[in-house]
Amino acid sequence: MKLAPMIALGGLMLAGSFFMSSSGPAAAGDPAQGRKIANMCQTCHGVDGYARVPIAPHIGGEPQEYLEAQLMAYKTGQREHEMMSVVTASLSAQQISDVAAWYASHTAVATLPDGVDAEAAPQGCVSCHGANGISQLLDAPNLAGETNIYIDTQLKAFRRGHRQHDVMSEVAEGLSDAEIRRLADWYSAIELEINSPPG
Amino acid sequence: MNNRILAGLLLGTMLSTPVLAQDNMDRLQNMQRTDATFTFIDQEGDRADALNDILQHINLPDGFEISLYAVVPDARSMSMAPQGTVLFAGTRKDKVWSIVDRDRDRVADEVKDFAPSVTFDIPNGPCFSPDGFLYIAERNRVLVFPAAEFFFESPDIAIGEVVPQGELIPVDEESFNHSARVCDIGPDGKLYISLGQPHNVQPAEKLELYDEIGIGGIIRINTDGSDREVFTRGVRNSVGQDFNPATGELWWTDNQVDGMGDDIPPGELNRQTAAGQHFGFPWTNSRVEIPAFKNVPRPEGVEFVEPQLELTAHAADLGMRFYHDSSFPERYHGGIFWAQHGSWNRTTPVGARVMFTALDEEGNAAGAEVFADGWLNDDTGEYRGRPMDIEFLPDGSMLISDDFAGAIWRIAYNPAPAE
Repeated sequence: MKLAPMIALGGLMLAGSFFMSSSGPAAAGDPAQGRKIANMCQTCHGVDGYARVPIAPHIGGEPQEYLEAQLMAYKTGQREHEMMSVVTASLSAQQISDVAAWYASHTAVATLPDGVDAEAAPQGCVSCHGANGISQLLDAPNLAGETNIYIDTQLKAFRRGHRQHDVMSEVAEGLSDAEIRRLADWYSAIELEINSPPG
Repeated sequence: MNNRILAGLLLGTMLSTPVLAQDNMDRLQNMQRTDATFTFIDQEGDRADALNDILQHINLPDGFEISLYAVVPDARSMSMAPQGTVLFAGTRKDKVWSIVDRDRDRVADEVKDFAPSVTFDIPNGPCFSPDGFLYIAERNRVLVFPAAEFFFESPDIAIGEVVPQGELIPVDEESFNHSARVCDIGPDGKLYISLGQPHNVQPAEKLELYDEIGIGGIIRINTDGSDREVFTRGVRNSVGQDFNPATGELWWTDNQVDGMGDDIPPGELNRQTAAGQHFGFPWTNSRVEIPAFKNVPRPEGVEFVEPQLELTAHAADLGMRFYHDSSFPERYHGGIFWAQHGSWNRTTPVGARVMFTALDEEGNAAGAEVFADGWLNDDTGEYRGRPMDIEFLPDGSMLISDDFAGAIWRIAYNPAPAE
């Protein structure tokens, strides 16, 4: 987690894509085992990671490192949610690696709405989350196609300190409600498709 | 470079175009035009075909039939306009839908977003006053639209704020958890709004604040927002309420604690007979004690009201309505229908059905029975749909909103003629 800001900084100065090839310190996860665990995720997140309820994010095709870090944060109480704190309490570290591997084995494909130019993307977000809402580094989530209220809620949680992250806490601190909604609307309008792993 | 400089860099490049949301609120309140346009939902094609395919799986009592009434994305709590010409459905996103059946063939032919000039924020709960004011309870604001039934065809519509943004609950308590509000106008003409508490079980240090504000409760206010009081205490997260038209008493459903196992605590259907009653949470869910509050002193001199019905654990009892029409058979008259949304983390999923209870001579719930089910695929544990709320058409047939399938279903009583 501590590496994230440095990676983000590098991404601003160099080609962001370089960092996609860096491998994180994540424990080895078994996607096949993770598929079984995903049964307890599917009502909200879908078995393929395409969310079925507005309160849940799309997690198919997210970086495994990000998924694992968030699940561990819930499990340890560093991040709290009335449902996810309950779910992660029953998962071992290995199960968390496995289910993160399952969802990460999918591929997220994002398409900007017709007639919308990537240049118009919120420039403060693109170095980590991409113009199209596909994560550019291991410690950032995809934002493409998330419910705008979900993104809005997370940014406000960062701004108030209810959720904490080295970069996001400070980014969110400077945003007004209206700016937050505008950023959320940008990423929410992007069409997301999640493709299953081959085989 | 440190994080602060990084954050500064990011902020420096952030778009700073002002958002028009508040401008639009001001304009609308001054009866001015905006450039907002409608979003229409296609009522035919692949989406409708896929929804129609679900119908064959739904089980109903003899003589009833189900059909697709409308394709409505994310459809949540519903309110039928007093003249019966247009139905409104909220969402947990940023839309309220208006749903019209112009030719009265019991299938909606136009679904479009209501008041597109307004930036909504979880506008889950629409409710009408008998004189035609449409109230919409959002996450942290309550709006009113006078004569919405007649003005909904315009993207720019007269609007008022009953509770301004940030004053329904403290802004610091805002989240996406249990933030889908429902509202109703009571027989006293006041507005009743449920305020779910945003935790699984709230921490003890929140008790005082929540008790004072009515979080984990139901509040009532005058329709101009004045004289706010906590009407109901000891609620976890109620997303369904209705007044018994025969007695004026408020009944409501509640969602119970997760993480205590598959079979406890039971879901609840509650009957409230007096203002200020306490229903036990977070000390109890029904008769089940919540472990975290075992040693926290209970409020002094308060007796917890027990639920009328203890329902299948985790089935998620949501929207409810008394049946006060006549086209259903007599045994349903005066009883309560409600939607079970279905469980999200039970080992074997349960729910996704419509329930019913009659009332006995003392006006208590006689016992829960399944009225309609089949939205849960028992073989795979996957949902075909998830019923969320109940409303009725002027002809007495039932509408069921489904935020999973993105539909509103209709159930009518239409027995085959005798041979």
